[in-house]
Amino acid sequence: MDISFSAQETRFREECRDWLHANVPCEKRPLDPTEALPFDKAWQRTLYDAGWAGISWPKEYGGRGLSLIQQIIWLEEYARAGAPWIGANFVGINHGGPTLIMNASEAQKSFHLPRILRAEEIWCQGFSEPGAGSDLAGIKTRGRVEGDELVINGSKIWTSFAHVADWQELVLRTEEGSLRHKGLSWVICDMHAPGITIRPIRLMSGEAELAQVFYDDVRIPLANVVGGLGEGWRVAMSTLSFERGTGFIADQVKHAITVARLIDDASASGAIKNDQIAGELAQLRAEVAALRAMTYRNISEVVRTGQPGPEASVIRLFTSELGQRIDRLAVRLKGQDILDFSYGDRDDTQEYLRHYAATIAGGSAQIQRDIIGERMLGLPKSR
Amino acid sequence: MDLAPNTDQIAYQTATADWCRDNMPLDQARNRPAGLWKQLAEMGWTGMTSPEMGLNHATEALVFAELGRFLAPVGLLSTAVAARWVGGDAKVALAIPGDGKLRLFDAEDTTAALGIWNGKAGLTMVPGTIEPRPGLDLSASLSVIDLDLIPNPLEDPRAVHHLQLLAAAYAVGCADAARDMAASYAKIREQFERPIGWFQAIKHICADTAVRCAVARSQLYYAACALDAGDAEAAFHIAAAKRLADQAALENARANIQVHGGIGMTDDATPHLCLKRAHLLSFIAPVTTADLLKG
Repeated sequence: MDISFSAQETRFREECRDWLHANVPCEKRPLDPTEALPFDKAWQRTLYDAGWAGISWPKEYGGRGLSLIQQIIWLEEYARAGAPWIGANFVGINHGGPTLIMNASEAQKSFHLPRILRAEEIWCQGFSEPGAGSDLAGIKTRGRVEGDELVINGSKIWTSFAHVADWQELVLRTEEGSLRHKGLSWVICDMHAPGITIRPIRLMSGEAELAQVFYDDVRIPLANVVGGLGEGWRVAMSTLSFERGTGFIADQVKHAITVARLIDDASASGAIKNDQIAGELAQLRAEVAALRAMTYRNISEVVRTGQPGPEASVIRLFTSELGQRIDRLAVRLKGQDILDFSYGDRDDTQEYLRHYAATIAGGSAQIQRDIIGERMLGLPKSR
Repeated sequence: MDLAPNTDQIAYQTATADWCRDNMPLDQARNRPAGLWKQLAEMGWTGMTSPEMGLNHATEALVFAELGRFLAPVGLLSTAVAARWVGGDAKVALAIPGDGKLRLFDAEDTTAALGIWNGKAGLTMVPGTIEPRPGLDLSASLSVIDLDLIPNPLEDPRAVHHLQLLAAAYAVGCADAARDMAASYAKIREQFERPIGWFQAIKHICADTAVRCAVARSQLYYAACALDAGDAEAAFHIAAAKRLADQAALENARANIQVHGGIGMTDDATPHLCLKRAHLLSFIAPVTTADLLKG
């Protein structure tokens, strides 16, 4: 065991830092998703042109094919440099793209992957439904096979960037009467197809990047099915396992930066003289250090064995709950000032309100605890 | 950068756990045989940290976490730190000073005790008149002296960090033991015609024990490597490891008692052994808020 980075890795870190220092835009990413779209596309294009897009993707699809350690270094430096969130490109880069790489046909890959990297197409996710949240296998949106087309009816919810997306990774029931995990398919859905209606959802933080999507006889070519008809659950799980891997490094670095800032602020204001506040800040500082150690440990396991251990779920759960503890202390330190918050403000109060999603979206904290209990500790399945 | 044990380190871990399982099982922690210390010395655990052994702190942390899992004597901690910074492999008692008293643990057949006085590690003489008796932690004998003896400070400031690191490793092992004990019981104990681990109320208590173990163990590895590397922030990382490990040991011990239900609160059952050990560990080289905010 060893915490030092090799000379090559250290040089790579400097390379990342230098480029980010010179290229991170001074202007902030707009909050409104429609206004943010040109910003997100331009920034992704800048990353692509400089060779920083899809750094973990294989070279044959336009990626850099870098090692896991290099990916971590890039993500750490990216967050440290305060580089903007990739926003509308998130689903394409972090979900859709990697799923295509693992499961799609050559034609599907060569069409979509380069366009995702160049921000020429925007993707959104269509997994959850009003009646299928934690119980994702309860999906009811159906696709009836008609000739060489799927005719889609139903509704998806919690879809980020639906109103600006060109394509959707859509999981639906293609086998009539099938139950649970069987008879599902993972489909590339054209968001500009007739019959799609989008209803935006505003969150309690004021942001409006989520939406509910309705499908009314939407026709999608069968050629857009990825991984085969009826293989949707397997394909969807390959995306989620990615999300539980390196998907949270940016959050972790952000947590560390926030705790350091809170300690500085509390020292400047004198709040740190309160033993309870000091104790809580000290605890959070220890926890963000441990979070980084846990990620490094998990990555080391992946390098050694080729796959993330079951502890990836622990990282996911701990990251989200730690973030909420940090936000709660931040708003306590602000005191009455949080009462001045209004939609559009970008401060600790907005982060605090936004992060209620952290233990709900992408598998609730309760589902994560089920997974930890069942897969790590071998307790009986309760569902 | 590599925070997973290598093949040699895994071999050390496995050999330690195997020996402990056969010779020093956790459920016998309150009733250790008189010859145990001699066996530990023969196996090399009393002198493994001496400089000539050349073991790094990362490997030590792994081995001590295994020893801690079986509630090995706390005297091994003080003995190991003395072996590293004073030399030899003689048994050294563990000293915890406080409130004008000095508490000595595992002081039988010792002439010296090691502890932390005002943030500095030191050695003090063990009076010949002590009468060891059981204390809260039934695995360690306790001798209370009604005055604080003057210690001989150890020169190297890293001795404190070393004791913190090894005590943290013990706490990680103790937390692991409680996690595994709770999960095993939740699989076999049936109520409402099913194993209690089926119920989310129990499952989530168990999941949280696993989270605390993963968090504390990861930071322990990082801290041990930081001490090996002479990292500028090593003191902070060790303090963080100690704090998180102490919390994991205590919270997991409490969770384990709750999962065991009625049997968990009895003297006959083993869960209280982890709880009492966790309390003792929290007083060994404790971490202050200032330690965690420094640097």
